[in-house]
Amino acid sequence: MTPWTPRPGPLVALWLLLLAPTAAAQTSAGQPGSIVIAIGEQPTMPIPTLMEGSAGTQGNIELADQLFLRLARLGPTVLTAGDRGFVPLLARSWSRRDSVTLAFDLDSRARWQDGVPITARDVIFTFERARNPAIAPRTVGLLRHITSVTAEGDHRVVFHFSHPYPEQFYDATFHAAPLPAHLLDTIPPEALGRSGFVSHPVGSGPYRLVRVVSGQFLELAANEDFFLGKPKIGRVILRVAPDPDARINLLLSGQADALDNVVPPLENIQRIKADTTLRLIPVPAPALGFLLFNQKDPHNSTKPHPILSDVRVRRAITLALDRQLLIHAVFGSYAEVPFGPVSSILWIRNGAPQAARQNVAEAKRLLEAAGWRDSNGDGIRDRNGRPLTLGLSLPTTSAVRRKFAVLIQEQLRQVGLGLELQQAEFPLWIERRSAGKFDIDFAGTIQDPSPSGLTQAWTCTGGTNVTKYCDPLVDSLMDAAIRGNAKGDPSRPWIAVLRQIEADAPATFLYAPFYVYAVKRRFRDVSIMPGSSWQLVREWSESR
Amino acid sequence: MSGWLLRRGLQAVVVLAIALTILFFLMRAAPGDPLARASESRPLSTAELAALRARYGLDQPAAAQFVAFLGGLLHGDLGVSIEYGRPVTGLLAERLPATLLLGGSVLLLNFTVGLWLGVRQALRRGRAEDRWLTAISLVGYATPSFWLGLVLAWLVGIKLRLLPAAGMQDPLLSFDASFTVRVVDVLRHLVLPVMTLSIVSIAATMRYQRTAMLEILSLPFMVTARAKGLPEREVIWRHGWRNALFPVITLFGLWLPILVTGSVFVEAVFAWPGLGSLAAAAVWGRDYPVLMGASMLVAALVVAGGFITDVAYALLDPRVRLA
Repeated sequence: MTPWTPRPGPLVALWLLLLAPTAAAQTSAGQPGSIVIAIGEQPTMPIPTLMEGSAGTQGNIELADQLFLRLARLGPTVLTAGDRGFVPLLARSWSRRDSVTLAFDLDSRARWQDGVPITARDVIFTFERARNPAIAPRTVGLLRHITSVTAEGDHRVVFHFSHPYPEQFYDATFHAAPLPAHLLDTIPPEALGRSGFVSHPVGSGPYRLVRVVSGQFLELAANEDFFLGKPKIGRVILRVAPDPDARINLLLSGQADALDNVVPPLENIQRIKADTTLRLIPVPAPALGFLLFNQKDPHNSTKPHPILSDVRVRRAITLALDRQLLIHAVFGSYAEVPFGPVSSILWIRNGAPQAARQNVAEAKRLLEAAGWRDSNGDGIRDRNGRPLTLGLSLPTTSAVRRKFAVLIQEQLRQVGLGLELQQAEFPLWIERRSAGKFDIDFAGTIQDPSPSGLTQAWTCTGGTNVTKYCDPLVDSLMDAAIRGNAKGDPSRPWIAVLRQIEADAPATFLYAPFYVYAVKRRFRDVSIMPGSSWQLVREWSESR
Repeated sequence: MSGWLLRRGLQAVVVLAIALTILFFLMRAAPGDPLARASESRPLSTAELAALRARYGLDQPAAAQFVAFLGGLLHGDLGVSIEYGRPVTGLLAERLPATLLLGGSVLLLNFTVGLWLGVRQALRRGRAEDRWLTAISLVGYATPSFWLGLVLAWLVGIKLRLLPAAGMQDPLLSFDASFTVRVVDVLRHLVLPVMTLSIVSIAATMRYQRTAMLEILSLPFMVTARAKGLPEREVIWRHGWRNALFPVITLFGLWLPILVTGSVFVEAVFAWPGLGSLAAAAVWGRDYPVLMGASMLVAALVVAGGFITDVAYALLDPRVRLA
């Protein structure tokens, strides 16, 4: 007898219910007048003065650039010294009154997205907020040289500085885009982050925020009355996909038109290259990767590091590495070896010398000179019974650093230096880093466009100088570079700083990558700004 | 019955309270700085970190933080996310529907298709169909879901372009799109993640159900039922399958919390905006308030899973009473 079994009818019907929609036409990106951009993190606080700490993400900064205009923006040279590198936005023009006074004339056509004119009052209000340490502790530090901001009529603001220096213009325009005083002056500064303004901001930029579908996407619509011209692309969707593979899938499946920063491995770039509807655009990036040497003993920070306090060992590590080869293996042609702690976005790299090439013989000579020899023939050098072995601390979350680390381990073995890879979950890695509990830290950083940010990590009193690297000469050179010289090339004093840092070898500077963007070929006039990927989408157009 | 419910309710509250207390202090005892994420790309100075620590109350002793947490909890306030700067209750509420939709669909498919195939296998024991289904279920069970997800996204989403490769809805759908169009759109996005999770879970349910059914089929009361002249359908359904359900009910109770925790990889691969990815990001960033909120939810689901299992046992087996 054939046993009775449940009939498959209801189950088939259930499956059909789910699968039937597959017959529906695929609707997604590609709609005229719209662009869907796949991004990695959801912007949550795209409000100038509030983008600090956890909110200081690239996602927030980039969305804020669409919603709020600065007085002027950085041009393609990203030159932060003087005003030559800047393009007018809210400020129609500017003039220098003396070495410590800058006056900006606001464009009288500029309006908030609710139609109210933008005035000097808005600029002054914003700088008051930005200099409130309870709200914006980081920005307070960045604006410390601005002594006051005053109004002369409705459309002129005057910035007064404590002393002459080359980046006055940058400080006045870059760190805080004006906020609408008429909407915010009744909201206490500490309450702004929880106010409705965060979810429904009224800005001055080319796009306004239409809706946020949490965890999925944000929709921006063109500001029809934008005083610099209505954007040609009327609708911008920022589609959130934290996983890099999911972002690439969105792009390759036609669900997105553009993608920011195609991350290694290189196969990802090959996959996108194979799609003839897409183009790849490499853009200088603010990122930098380096091996940071701890010159203090990780177990007792009052003592020098038993191996790395010797500059000969640090230099030997740098010379033992074929950094060009490492970069080629991980980034292909989309990165360069930096000279000093300089990402490819920093303008001071233009006059900098080439980074030292691999020189294994010199590396070995330096190690020999420091007393490290392979006395027992095991391939690892030793001195007084101590092997030349170091730990390399790195986060598990960075595929790039993991790949680099394995290759570095192999290259250092060639000169008799053992490297133990100490991978840790991201918060643990940070904790270990902050406490100085490492030999070598595989660090990665994002730099502001200004070289003055280098003071934070590479001066004796720098707030993020976790290894306590201290060379008074570097400090004085950096101070001179920041103060500047009215005459001559502004990058020259910075090059002196970089030379001295390279000579001290507090780190091996490994890579300064380019971000590789992917954009559908149907978009024309595509221009991507280093440091703010989609800032110029308002100038893009579409082929019909 | 009401006495039993009251006792179970009290037990649940106590279990939740103990679980949350342990979790709260374990999180703080574990290494890792909740403000690490803030320093990820642009390192913060010591002074900036101190200011942020004070803002989120992280400069207080753990006991003081716990008291503040309990105070908030009594008012339904789980605190503000360090990562998002927004109330945790709002974040959880936003992500819960996506999780329930994905997890609910997977459970539905799992316990319909899985049970049906398991029973079918048992009734055709030793035949070619049984052997094939056994082989397929073992392959399904051994398949890593994140790998399967990547393959399905590539094949169905990119190569064939039959279904969306990622996301939960099409952001370019017109504002005036009808309700039906929107539902169909979400269903299209749902298919691949559900398939990915279902293939693995159905395989497990099939195996459980097959084994349980085989045990029941060999028992004397099944012979008695047939000898009484009952129709085969009734013998299988009323006498056999009903008794073979107990191990699967236990499995259901265990699956319930996996609704939230089990789909982290699949949510990542398909950019599905559920609670799993939110909780995983919170673990990664040590976002204590979000972690506590998500943990509360999972703990509640564990308790609910146990409760549903008990009720189901009582309903199916007259020997078990809710007393």
